[in-house]
Amino acid sequence: MRRILTFVILLALLVSGSALAQGVEWGTRGPHVDEIILPIIMDQEAQIIALLRGDIHVLPGLAQPAHIQRLEAEPNVDITVSPGYHMFYLGINMRRPPLSDPVVRQALAHVIDREEIILSLFQGYMLPLAEFVPPASPFYNPDVDTYPYDPELAKQILDEAGYVMGPDGVRIDPNTGERMREMTIMTPTMEVAATSAMLGMMVAEAAQSIGLPIKAEPLDFNVIVDRISNEVDGGRNFDMYALAWSLGRFPTHLYTLFHSNFDVDGGDNTPGLRDPEYDALAEKVWTPRTYEDAFEAAYEAQAMLSELLPYIPLYSRPYMDAFRSDIVTGYVPHLGFGAASNAQDSIWTPLNIRLVNQERGGTIRWVLEQEPGNLNILVGTSAYDARIFGLVYGPGLIAPEPENNEDMPWEAERWEVGTWTTPEGNEGTKVTYYLRKDITWHDGVPFTAHDIKFTMDYLKEQQVPKYKAAWDNYSHAEVHDDYTITVYFDNVSYWHTYNVAGFLAKHIWEGVEKFDEFEPWKEPHPTVPGLTKMIGTGPFVFKEYVPGEYVRVERYEDFWAGLDR
Amino acid sequence: MTGAYFWRRVGYALLTLFVIMTLNFVIFRVMPGDPVSLILSPDFTPEVRQLLRERYGLDKPLWTQYLLYLKSMITFDFGRSFTTRQPVLGELLARLPNTLMLLGTSFVINVVVGVVLGIAMATRQGSRLETGVTGVSLFLNAMPSFFIGLLLLLTFGYFWPIFPIRGTMSVPPPTGFWPTVIDRIYHLVLPVTAVSLSGYGSWYLYTRNNVVGALGQDYVLTARAKGLTKREVLYRHAFRSVLPPIVTLIFLSLPGLITGAVITESIFSLYGIGRYLIDATLQQDYPVVQASFFVIALAVLICNLLADLVYGLVDPRIRLR
Repeated sequence: MRRILTFVILLALLVSGSALAQGVEWGTRGPHVDEIILPIIMDQEAQIIALLRGDIHVLPGLAQPAHIQRLEAEPNVDITVSPGYHMFYLGINMRRPPLSDPVVRQALAHVIDREEIILSLFQGYMLPLAEFVPPASPFYNPDVDTYPYDPELAKQILDEAGYVMGPDGVRIDPNTGERMREMTIMTPTMEVAATSAMLGMMVAEAAQSIGLPIKAEPLDFNVIVDRISNEVDGGRNFDMYALAWSLGRFPTHLYTLFHSNFDVDGGDNTPGLRDPEYDALAEKVWTPRTYEDAFEAAYEAQAMLSELLPYIPLYSRPYMDAFRSDIVTGYVPHLGFGAASNAQDSIWTPLNIRLVNQERGGTIRWVLEQEPGNLNILVGTSAYDARIFGLVYGPGLIAPEPENNEDMPWEAERWEVGTWTTPEGNEGTKVTYYLRKDITWHDGVPFTAHDIKFTMDYLKEQQVPKYKAAWDNYSHAEVHDDYTITVYFDNVSYWHTYNVAGFLAKHIWEGVEKFDEFEPWKEPHPTVPGLTKMIGTGPFVFKEYVPGEYVRVERYEDFWAGLDR
Repeated sequence: MTGAYFWRRVGYALLTLFVIMTLNFVIFRVMPGDPVSLILSPDFTPEVRQLLRERYGLDKPLWTQYLLYLKSMITFDFGRSFTTRQPVLGELLARLPNTLMLLGTSFVINVVVGVVLGIAMATRQGSRLETGVTGVSLFLNAMPSFFIGLLLLLTFGYFWPIFPIRGTMSVPPPTGFWPTVIDRIYHLVLPVTAVSLSGYGSWYLYTRNNVVGALGQDYVLTARAKGLTKREVLYRHAFRSVLPPIVTLIFLSLPGLITGAVITESIFSLYGIGRYLIDATLQQDYPVVQASFFVIALAVLICNLLADLVYGLVDPRIRLR
């Protein structure tokens, strides 16, 4: 009963949006606290104990039902739930018969009981997902065919398509007249990801129950990735696999995961979907002229994918973050990003969190679950690097608000999107940003349009892999005055609006020749004592990182959105 | 020991090192996938992957990669980690003090407690005390170290929270020399106890069994017959005869001090080599795994060499030619 109740609560949150559902008030000014210390605690049990001891106040990313239940029982712990941009799915190799037949894929989709999987493996702490965009996204299309659990219908579909049941309980393939060949679902091993391995077994058993000879095959993670990503003799060596994607705010994965351009060696179109009609839709998702175009194309693309079924989506993991409610308050669950899991995408908890009964000042302890890898913003890619980047650099020119992820002016007061004609005569996107005039870097130097131009030029000149999406189609930028800049791209895409960045302080970075060997957090600032070269325009100033121990940031006194401004 | 013997052994060690270095290179290349293909993100297009391969030098022919690798190992210029882009040597050296502090302290405790207890219990063979100590030692030795670690964490970190549960220092750390030293020791108590509890048993059993065996030998009987005291018989005759294998074992165990204790490091969030090595292996971070295994191989070979040489010193009956 309790499990079903949890499930229902999660579903309710899914429908209503996390921040609204929990009645959270949030402001655009802050931060309230003087300091955030991020102690590094790697073991999950130790993290739970540290939260219960009060050694830490914020514990992001709860994933294990046992931990969630244990913390739910604690009166001083509050857990926030936010639907995430996450998709766990069954990938299908459409190049290989009989999986190349849509009827087989549809029958398989009908025999998978997502709710049973979620209740038995995750005790209800996941959200069933049958669509190709998670419900946290505004691009989520709720009206696509989702193949509800119906084993009888699955059998009927197979029977009608000529896949009749053979004498040994395995269906006959009408194309060969012989018993269907054995197929496998690759999953990570029990030791690495027990729930994924068990999920593979559950799907295989369900398939066998309708005469599809499918078995689960737990394999080393590297082997799975190698088989699904790399071509052998022009194909890929797998039938099905169960893995997850962490997706972004925009549905561009509908292009990179399913367009035929990516059905190449090393490309992410692992199922091998090649459909010209779908390609045309996916291209519109990738390079829409307007937000509305993107919306319409994403809707249609999802409807088409649900017919083509290159994946069978299974569930989406919500972000569940724990807080010591007797010590801190003001945390903001952000739809799609959680309250504390993605500080780089969600500025709202760092701005609003404060100590209970203390409007301003004090120290918050927010755990880092792993060691940061590299605190150079052009290099660091882990979620733990990103948490520090979020605190120091902030969200950039445009911020997504937490309730519905609608655009909110941040460092740019406003922006205009238009088109221009490239020297080659093609049409391209241009975006003009009007910047706030009260923003300064942490060393007091004003943040201007020159920093944005420098950042975009530097990314392109150095071909920084992490930001290829930003510089790939970047043409040039024109600085009109210190606070107005137009950025030109050599193709048309509405997404370019969000690709423009200005996180590199020109006066610090212009002498850096090899971006990936620069360690700004280790080098002292050339003029300001107590600072390093890791300076941003965000709400917190980077103070120190003691490897293996902690990272410490302090409130930036002159933050443009500070409480006293 | 002759000079010829020494140089012959050094020659064998260098040859072994070269074979290990080559295997070290080959093994990670024949494993499925590469560090770039393991990065799973819908934003990682084939072009970005290619860009990274070029940056990592993975687009060069395998022979060129091999020669560059040999050069980097011999010069100890291990390059930068693929995943963190940090200099590998710097990362290893930064982690070494914590690993040495944890495993060095535990090692000394294990050897001292194990050997002393082993000798003491060998003379009380069959007594209740000996049966009890042997039973407890066997039990602890058979327990997985992660279980002991978690048990300590729960007992002394949660139910009776008298010890810190993470890292090697308080956050923020105290100032001043002695407060810092005391803070470090305070943080080491639980992890060192976890490693020692699961590790001293093997030293105890080895010493006890060898001393028990030695006490039954004719030369011990002769020593007793000569009228030597119990203590003289035990330490000058019985223990002296089991000393060479113990010393050898100590030298052979020394390389383990730098390989890290993966589980303990993870449970107590210690910035050590073990976790670094495991993560790098899973991510196929070639520069890190190659450098780490090279350093470990070097340590094993040097310690083996030392063990061979010292054997002759502690046991005068052995002459090395």
